Amino acid sequence: MSFPTVVFYVLSAILIFAGLRVITAKNPVHAALYLVLAFFTSAGHWLLLESEFLAISLVLVYVGAVMVLFLFVVMMLDINFEKLREGFWKNAPLAGTVGLIMVGEMVLILMSPEASLGSYKGAAPLAADASNIRELGRLIYTTYLWPFELAAVVLLVGMVAAIALTMRKRKDTKFVNPGDQVVVRRDDRVRLVKMAAVKRSEPVAEAESADQQA
Amino acid sequence: MNWADLNLVPVMPEIFLISALSVILLLDLFISDAKRGITYGLSLLTLAGTAALQVYTFEPYAQYTLSNMFVADPLASLVKLAMYGATAMILVYSRQYAADRDMFKGEFFTLALFALFGMNVMVSASHFLSLYMGLELLSLSLYALIALQRDSVPATEAAMKYFVLGALASGLLLYGMSMVYGATGTLEIAAIAKSIHGGSANQLLLVFGLVFLVAGLAFKLGAVPFHMWIPDVYQGSPTAITLMIGAAPKLAAFVFIFRILVQGLDGLTGDWQSMLAIMAVLSMAIGNITAIAQTNLKRMLAYSTISHMGFLLLGLLAGNEQGYSSALFYAVTYVLTTLASFGVIMALSRAGFECDKLEDLKGLNSRNSWYAALMLLTMFSLAGIPPLVGFYAKFAVIKAIVDIGLVKLAVFAVAMSLIGAFYYLRVVKHMYFDEVQDTSPIVVRGDMQLVLSLNALALLVLGVLPERLIEICVEAMKQSLTVL
Amino acid sequence: MLQNYFPILLFVIVGLLVGVGPILLGWLVAPNRPDPEKLSPYECGFEAFEDARMKFDVRYYLVAILFILFDLEITFLFPWAVVLKELGAFGFGVMVEFIAVLTLGFVYMWKKGALEWE
Repeated sequence: MSFPTVVFYVLSAILIFAGLRVITAKNPVHAALYLVLAFFTSAGHWLLLESEFLAISLVLVYVGAVMVLFLFVVMMLDINFEKLREGFWKNAPLAGTVGLIMVGEMVLILMSPEASLGSYKGAAPLAADASNIRELGRLIYTTYLWPFELAAVVLLVGMVAAIALTMRKRKDTKFVNPGDQVVVRRDDRVRLVKMAAVKRSEPVAEAESADQQA
Repeated sequence: MNWADLNLVPVMPEIFLISALSVILLLDLFISDAKRGITYGLSLLTLAGTAALQVYTFEPYAQYTLSNMFVADPLASLVKLAMYGATAMILVYSRQYAADRDMFKGEFFTLALFALFGMNVMVSASHFLSLYMGLELLSLSLYALIALQRDSVPATEAAMKYFVLGALASGLLLYGMSMVYGATGTLEIAAIAKSIHGGSANQLLLVFGLVFLVAGLAFKLGAVPFHMWIPDVYQGSPTAITLMIGAAPKLAAFVFIFRILVQGLDGLTGDWQSMLAIMAVLSMAIGNITAIAQTNLKRMLAYSTISHMGFLLLGLLAGNEQGYSSALFYAVTYVLTTLASFGVIMALSRAGFECDKLEDLKGLNSRNSWYAALMLLTMFSLAGIPPLVGFYAKFAVIKAIVDIGLVKLAVFAVAMSLIGAFYYLRVVKHMYFDEVQDTSPIVVRGDMQLVLSLNALALLVLGVLPERLIEICVEAMKQSLTVL
Repeated sequence: MLQNYFPILLFVIVGLLVGVGPILLGWLVAPNRPDPEKLSPYECGFEAFEDARMKFDVRYYLVAILFILFDLEITFLFPWAVVLKELGAFGFGVMVEFIAVLTLGFVYMWKKGALEWE
């Protein structure tokens, strides 16, 4: 067994373990962290396949951004996770049977001689100076121009939708715009009032007597 | 590719639409709530401009551009024009409705136009990747539109259900696409068809992928057994949004199925024909029978949609030009009828009151005989009663399958539409023969009154003189099929 | 090609060892005699008033999703930067269009106040 094969099996073992823990972990935060582990190990798989760009974007986008969002969402929800699990064992036999049937069907189809998966040859080895990211770049911005520009529109819709759905102005906010604070002038805050002079002694005396009574 | 290879003329309508949309998105930021009418007017102008460009760039043959990922053929042009019309009508119908429910915001218009842009991309896609991008654009905009009323529990629940099931359907579609890619080595629809006809593709993997593709497509169309989301989403969404889900996207979904199954997997017609037949039978049966038990008008119309999608599948499974063009005719007229029926519901609704129960229609004739007459027209058309256009649509579809010898299926379809007539006529009975319960006046904006009346009358006019539209559909289908 | 990544593999392994080693040592060597009082939550001498986990504000979600969207945008820039010389003006124009659409979104969210933390 060559060294990359050993690495592949080690990574696969970690990946399967992490995947299982994602669905079995009791605490959803732990599940999310196991998912991070799963993403890291799959990035390792990509690297073994020499697709560095995909490996790095998996780490950057999924681990760096999507999982942060996942964690926020998990913490945002006030769900009693024990309660969600209540019906689990009741439905487990049915769900398990359906899942097993589906897996069995897929195995039967893919393993049948008619599928002739064995006749597919492995990928040809890349040239020594081949660069995955360069090949992607050559295609994305020329042949796949239309889906690429559409991706920008999808991202734009995502932005509009996220803002429309989650942005609320807090009513009790005490936020002050620093810009407004800086441009404030004396006349905005101070008002000089001219008042006729009054005798001061009497109200003071009254106040004092009120204090004494209290 | 470089500047010289870039032929953008067929894409002009889309480019105009997205540019105008960007302008609206930015302008709306500077418009106060009181002047939201400006956004409304600009959206309608955009639709008119896009439609004009669509007509201007029309060519009676298929034009491929953008590395064969975009196709502008007569089918796409026809369906796009219908979608512009449908979107414009929805905007007119929902103006008052949205204003009464605190939905008359800039996002309402921009997301509706984004959804339209997504449908345009879908309809004009000749590559699995652009098909998928268009579908996601449409779905994302619709999810957000449903949840736009953030504090309404039914609306957010509907959005959640639609989102989860829609994501599942997208997953199935992608899995199917990847299987087909594995078998044929290409994602381009014309190249897939070529590879299958050439016999170089792995047949078993193709059929395996086909199953997933059909399941995903059925989800999007709402055919049984993938219909569970339709009643809940139709009922839970605000009526204006229900109409956005129920009208133009059906046309886009029809073309979507046409592109994948007919243009791409033509070589597997025998395989998908039987799948579609089972789904059509189930849709017609479950849709029509369950609709009888409904007391909610929107939910009833949702089940009616499911049964109509069954009819649409009948036309597709005929597997020949006659069948496809009858299905296209069915889709166009169905959208027109849906617009009118939900339009009347919106006209009868007012601030704080949703006219969505069957009882709310009781005695409508004595309250306002004109709206009762319009509703009567749409119900008769949905039931397929001559001389309304729904009759011709059903007739054409059933004729197409009789011609390929599926007489039993045709008889079943006729029987199911008879069952369906029961609940459509029940609505008519409520309107004309029951006592009035709600006597509040019906106030409708003038422009909506006009458009809604024209919309419902079009059902009658097209029913009496359907030849022209049928001819257009046949011609569009013929031109789009010959490019293979 | 793959050989180039061997140092990274070594780095990851050493990192894991350095991280896991002390925890393992502590678990093996340190005395561990828990009792209910030791394990009970402690809050300035009082019984704990409430669960330490509280709901996050939905605004964190908005920030996170906007971050993802621009993260994705940047991901598209890497392959582009590698082949820009080959693609020339055409490639530049394509990316300008891409970024223009996203800048539109940026202006939109700025003006909407999605970047304000009140």
